[in-house]
Amino acid sequence: MTQPKRLSQEDEHTLLRRLKARDESALAELYDALAPWVLGLASRILQDDPEAEEVLSDVFVQVWRHIDQHEKSRGPLVPWVLSIARNRALDALRRRHRWWRKAERWGDALRLEDDGAVPAPDPADAAVPGWPVHQAVHAALAALPVDQRRIVVLAYFEGLTHSEIARRTGQPLGTVKTRLRIAHGKLAEALKHVKDWLR
Amino acid sequence: MTDWLGMTPNPRNPRPELRARVLARATQPEARGARWGWLAAAALVALALGGAAGYWTRNTIAALAAERDRLAAALAVVRDTLGFVRGPATRVAWVPVTTNGRLGGVTIFADSATRRWLVRCEGMAPSEPGETYQIWFVTADGMKRAATMTMDERESTVMAMAFDVPSDVGAVTGAAMSIEPRSGSTQPRGPMVFHLRL
Repeated sequence: MTQPKRLSQEDEHTLLRRLKARDESALAELYDALAPWVLGLASRILQDDPEAEEVLSDVFVQVWRHIDQHEKSRGPLVPWVLSIARNRALDALRRRHRWWRKAERWGDALRLEDDGAVPAPDPADAAVPGWPVHQAVHAALAALPVDQRRIVVLAYFEGLTHSEIARRTGQPLGTVKTRLRIAHGKLAEALKHVKDWLR
Repeated sequence: MTDWLGMTPNPRNPRPELRARVLARATQPEARGARWGWLAAAALVALALGGAAGYWTRNTIAALAAERDRLAAALAVVRDTLGFVRGPATRVAWVPVTTNGRLGGVTIFADSATRRWLVRCEGMAPSEPGETYQIWFVTADGMKRAATMTMDERESTVMAMAFDVPSDVGAVTGAAMSIEPRSGSTQPRGPMVFHLRL
């Protein structure tokens, strides 16, 4: 894996302002810092490289065109970009007409991650900007009980509704809602110290 | 706190050639042509609708105003006519007339308070070409011009006309009607249709 460009502290402070000032070099820096995370998230959701790369492209187009819609008071920049990536990927997942051709591949992936586990962090990626956050999130998710983690993964990475999760897991709807609420509370507590690493 | 869950998956470095492509696509000017085309079309449609609505409104207002004026004029006539019937100083006279062998009649409502007359003719023969029926005020100083009434064959055999008694005409003691040239006469010269005292 090539090393993504690291941003200086000063660059991080001014990146958002430069993006809003339509500085194209700022977009390039944002790409260097976030593209691996966006692609990782899109690949996780879509399990399809070409579609994930399409989402990657769409995300940066949307960020560039709608950067003015990002308000610092509404949250840090990185989760905002990742939420765009997630929404784009889930949209693509729902649009997918070749679902049946990928069902088998999906089945394999789900079997591997049936308990909601995610691949352990690869130490080779440790130099990637944001790596400490990645580890913290990974640890917070891994610390959840299996039932709660599985529900969180189905909701976040597959975009399933509460009812769909209940059908998928065979659990009562109320149980799904309760477990999801408890899981979100635990995640919020575990990640409350996380600060945006890209400003 | 699902904001950070997007960083759960391991990062994946994109293919190097993607970078230039993504950045170029992101920063290229938005294809606004189509959007502006739609906006322009929508604006034109709105403008056309607005113009049509304005045109329709203007015509409707003009038609309603004309109708209002017509009704107001008709109401004024009705009020004027009713005023003769209800006026305490109104005298009514009816005189039978024979014109060109046809039997008819003339009714005169004379309101001395408002110095207005209403003359109603019915069953009279149509005026000959170039001729008219002329009504006269009979005063102590002789006959004074009142009004001309031309009966048309194509119109109803009933005709009514209201008019004022001019201020320079003294006390009116009677009424008369004669047949005069179409432009009217200053003094009666033609055949007298009727002459009566009020």
